[in-house]
Amino acid sequence: MQFVDTTKQLWNKLIWSWNPKSDKESGDAIVKNLLLHWFPNKITKGSLAWQYSLWLGTISFVLFVILTITGMVLMFLYVPSVERAYSSVKDLEFVIAFGSLLRASHRIAAHLMVATVFLHMIRVFLTGAYKNGQSVGSNRPLNWIIGVVLLLCTLLLSFTGYLLPWDQLAYWAITVGTNIASSAPLVGEKIRFFLLGGTVIDQGALIRFYVLHVFFLPVIVLLAFSWHMWRIRKDGGLAVADHEALSQTAEDVAPIKSKTYSLLGVTGGSTVHVQTSMVNEEKNSVPSAPHLVRRIVAVSIATLVVVVVLAALFPAPLEEPANPSVTPNPAKAPWYFLWLQEIVTDTTIPLGAFTINGALIGGILLPGLLIVLALWWPYRDKSGIETVGVWFAPARNRQNTIFIAICLLIIAFTIIGTFLRGPYWNFYWPWETWPTMPVKF
Amino acid sequence: MKLTTLFTKATATSDGVQSRRSFLQQLGLGGLLASLAGFTYQSVRSLVPNVLYEPPQKFKIGSPAMLPEGVTFLEDKRLYVFKEAQTYHAISASCTHLGCTVKHTKLNQAKTVELNGEKKTINFEFHCPCHGSKYYADGTNYAGPAPRPLRCYKLEMSPDDGQLIVDMTNEVEQSYRLTV
Repeated sequence: MQFVDTTKQLWNKLIWSWNPKSDKESGDAIVKNLLLHWFPNKITKGSLAWQYSLWLGTISFVLFVILTITGMVLMFLYVPSVERAYSSVKDLEFVIAFGSLLRASHRIAAHLMVATVFLHMIRVFLTGAYKNGQSVGSNRPLNWIIGVVLLLCTLLLSFTGYLLPWDQLAYWAITVGTNIASSAPLVGEKIRFFLLGGTVIDQGALIRFYVLHVFFLPVIVLLAFSWHMWRIRKDGGLAVADHEALSQTAEDVAPIKSKTYSLLGVTGGSTVHVQTSMVNEEKNSVPSAPHLVRRIVAVSIATLVVVVVLAALFPAPLEEPANPSVTPNPAKAPWYFLWLQEIVTDTTIPLGAFTINGALIGGILLPGLLIVLALWWPYRDKSGIETVGVWFAPARNRQNTIFIAICLLIIAFTIIGTFLRGPYWNFYWPWETWPTMPVKF
Repeated sequence: MKLTTLFTKATATSDGVQSRRSFLQQLGLGGLLASLAGFTYQSVRSLVPNVLYEPPQKFKIGSPAMLPEGVTFLEDKRLYVFKEAQTYHAISASCTHLGCTVKHTKLNQAKTVELNGEKKTINFEFHCPCHGSKYYADGTNYAGPAPRPLRCYKLEMSPDDGQLIVDMTNEVEQSYRLTV
């Protein structure tokens, strides 16, 4: 009996902040719990709504946590040397208990994270959530820029992880990727040399990509993510809260009993000014503990379940060991770069005696332009305050259309590159069979 | 002393001479920045290798007589070596677009193309599996995103043992042939 009581007490100590019994406890929960201290005490109902944010940012972070945990276990089992990398991944697939599931989870979570971070960006754009509302000290454009950095880090993390199995898929994706870097004018060859630690893809390149993948980039993501979260608080919460504040009409509130100091001393009475905006009042917001916490836990569990189920259904592929002399046909970059591969294929332009390599246009200039455009956009967007935190605000119709068009183009190119390109990068419809290619030269 | 005074503008004394304090502050700040820059430089510089333990770019490939007539693919060097009667030449298998290994592809029907102003009949081409670039038999690009012809490298005879030497640091014209 003693044991049961002690366990119960211990359990309550652990969970009390997640399951508060009163408003006071709820407030304490936020202040006293390290995991919760970065949440606001109260949160508006609009910010919690599923259909506003779609919780894509939360899902992205949960995926990052899953990737960190599975990645840490994988680090114990993977050897970053050209002699042993492939066989250690092969061991993961065929020898180590649950190794295959572990690797598949890591891979699926990485693919999903690229997708959710991208979708999160689309959501933020279409709701005008990178725009400042009325709250003092908010700087949402800056947070959008941090978000763009996080998107780039996510892509780089995924790309650096691609090389590590040291199989054909990895080797040729990195060959194409680093040669795109070398097509930059003047400094291109130097960048490639620095990336690879030499002129060929060998041990130097493997250890560099490994360290970038397991330490350097994750640390950058963690720092940028913390800043991203901190800025949300500084910016007055999600943009939808600004929208709610705007659509509030001031309401008369029953006079609040107060004490008034008069020349004769303290007298009873009511305050003079009792009109107030209702945004932060009971009816529009709820305590973060437990309401926000509950949803975050639910989203986390759902994300984990989806990752594990998908990992069980789609095991991670492992091709033949890397072989510099045989390029697989077709040789494709990771799917999220296939729109770029599609573009580098189509953009070699002859200009008189010069020929501009498609790699320069499609691999460097165009992505560079898109990044600059993304960074500049919030400062160009002059739409009014009524468009902040609203899906498809009419005043932003034109820019929403342009943004959606760019996204659709990227998605269309990705689909073409993924499903409709066969040997020699020729076009094939899904119902057409690819010609059989000799396996070896 | 307040930290902020470190960064305030150097104040001159009334007679226009810099004060000892502001001089020392600037000296200290400059030293700090210089050492940070040096530290950053040495950290990055250490990542640029001084010695590469990579396969040599100039190597022997055996005696000319041992090569079969026609084409030989040197896998680990990604190089096609051609022997046509007494002449030899070498074409790189690295696509000039993004460095995939191009494939020597026999044509079902020989076709006549114009190469360097003269009509020639060719029975093979080079095709790149990555983005579909195509090259004629002499390495001239004619389709796909490849921006320039395949690289051709210099061949030499080794004076000591008569083996063929490929010098991949030395690019030559497409018409280059080594006659033995």
